[in-house]
Amino acid sequence: MYLNVLTANIRKVIIEMVRYLPNTLSIIATFYAIFLMLFWGIRVFGDPVTQAGNIESTIVGVVLWSLATMVMQGMGWQITSEATRGTLEQLYMSPVSAWRILVARIIGCILVEIIVMSIVLFLAMLTAGQWLSFDLVLIPLFGLMLTCMMGVSLMIAGLAIVLKQIDAFLQIVQFAFFGLVSVPVTISPWLELLPIMRASSMVQDVMTEGASWPQFSLEMWALLIANALMYFGLGIALYKRAERRALRLGLLGQY
Amino acid sequence: MLREPKVHNPLVKVDGISKSYAKRSSKTRVQAVQDVSFEVGAGEIVGLLGPNGAGKSTTIKMICGLIRPDEGSIRVNDFDNQLERAGALNHISAVLEGNRNLYWRLTVRENLEYFAGNRGRSRRSVHTAIDELLEQFNLTTKANELVNSLSRGMQQKLAIAVAVLAGTEVILLDEPTLGLDVDTGYDVRALLKEIATQGRTIILSSHDMPVVQDVCERVIIINQGRVVADDQVSNLLRLFATTAYSVSLARPLTAAQREELERHFSIITINPQGDAVSVTFEHSDDIYTFMDILKAERSTIESIERTNVNVEQVFRTITANANGEKVSVEGARDVP
Repeated sequence: MYLNVLTANIRKVIIEMVRYLPNTLSIIATFYAIFLMLFWGIRVFGDPVTQAGNIESTIVGVVLWSLATMVMQGMGWQITSEATRGTLEQLYMSPVSAWRILVARIIGCILVEIIVMSIVLFLAMLTAGQWLSFDLVLIPLFGLMLTCMMGVSLMIAGLAIVLKQIDAFLQIVQFAFFGLVSVPVTISPWLELLPIMRASSMVQDVMTEGASWPQFSLEMWALLIANALMYFGLGIALYKRAERRALRLGLLGQY
Repeated sequence: MLREPKVHNPLVKVDGISKSYAKRSSKTRVQAVQDVSFEVGAGEIVGLLGPNGAGKSTTIKMICGLIRPDEGSIRVNDFDNQLERAGALNHISAVLEGNRNLYWRLTVRENLEYFAGNRGRSRRSVHTAIDELLEQFNLTTKANELVNSLSRGMQQKLAIAVAVLAGTEVILLDEPTLGLDVDTGYDVRALLKEIATQGRTIILSSHDMPVVQDVCERVIIINQGRVVADDQVSNLLRLFATTAYSVSLARPLTAAQREELERHFSIITINPQGDAVSVTFEHSDDIYTFMDILKAERSTIESIERTNVNVEQVFRTITANANGEKVSVEGARDVP
């Protein structure tokens, strides 16, 4: 049953991406432009000794930031958009829980994002003339990072379902996401508690330093899994709590 | 007291639901729905009527499980719609905001497929059903057009088709003919009657009284958050038929008479010439008051006849008198 929900939502996102191709192309252009600004900044003002490493980190940083922004804000945008259109209540008329539908929708968005970011990544590497390392270890790393991101996304969706007009908050929170993907987790042990910090550090290590399975200890994996599951579980719990409040106050149809 | 119809094996059972909202501006609470109870049986077509702000939409949304009642419970096919939400929603679908219930950037067929998918059904399993629905709703030629390019009437039909495709026993429709032109309104009305013949249970909220009279077998009238009448349409029309009269006069009413009549009778229509009056007598002695007002200016009655009441007149009579209490019309039966 859920496979059909997942298929329907992935199909919807892909149809809209293809149908509104100029919008998709403008996203690619925007992230490529951000990369170009950072790239030329490093070339002009950066230390020539560390330049190569900084450019690689910048490429990975832009990709991770874009992914974090899209996934962690995604459900919040979906809620406000559905409420504005008048379709939110219809989603709630499904026997399948709304949070499951939202997760299906965000998985569709992630697939689109992977296509978009692959293009940005290729263009960035081509422009810099530096090619990043890719290893199979990236699959579980991205899997766990996305699980964690979806948890945060559900929390923001919970906020959106009660407050609806959170557009300004969503704009500002992007800067916090930049911190999560760019600050090294090794600075303080407390940073392990924040979402995706451990995962983004490990992804940076793989793509810029060429790290692989042997470089990551069991403790690192345990922390990563615990972080992902904690945020996903917390996301579901907080979303459901917000949903109960919205149903009690009759807020679903309001915008 | 208007009787509550006995429903055997109710498909929808609303039991003592109440809902109040906090008013942000004054920090007071508004009682939207108060101790509402009714049952709807399989295959029934029930109209939910009430003035603006009477609590119709809140009631419909509570049945859909979109608003949680403060008190009371709602069971759909014996599933509590709060405690067994998924079970209840397997038996219920709704059109709540008409054409706004659709994705305007998807085509007609894509909308139908998407909403069926969200209910856990595969595209393949609904393919034939979608073709049949498109045919039934006269949308076959528009199947691959974007919803934002359709007329409002077609969008409304599509929204109803989405609800029908869900295959549930109960369909709730909130104002299905709102904003439609006359022809499309008739089309939608015909579609609703056709859906009803398929054995679906329909609960319909509307201000469009001809639609209610044409489509519904039973009406529940809500006023100030309470059920004030609940009976078969035919019973209500028969009951109120005895109270509505058309009076023709030899010469027009004076301004004073017109004012007096409008002050005494809440359900009254006087033609622009002032020589024809349609009036509903709500109490047994109303006819004497009416005659006294005419006699005061020596008006001569040319004819007086009982009129065919419609649901609109019944609705106006009940809501004008109910004040949130269940209506007693025993007196109305005694009118000569």
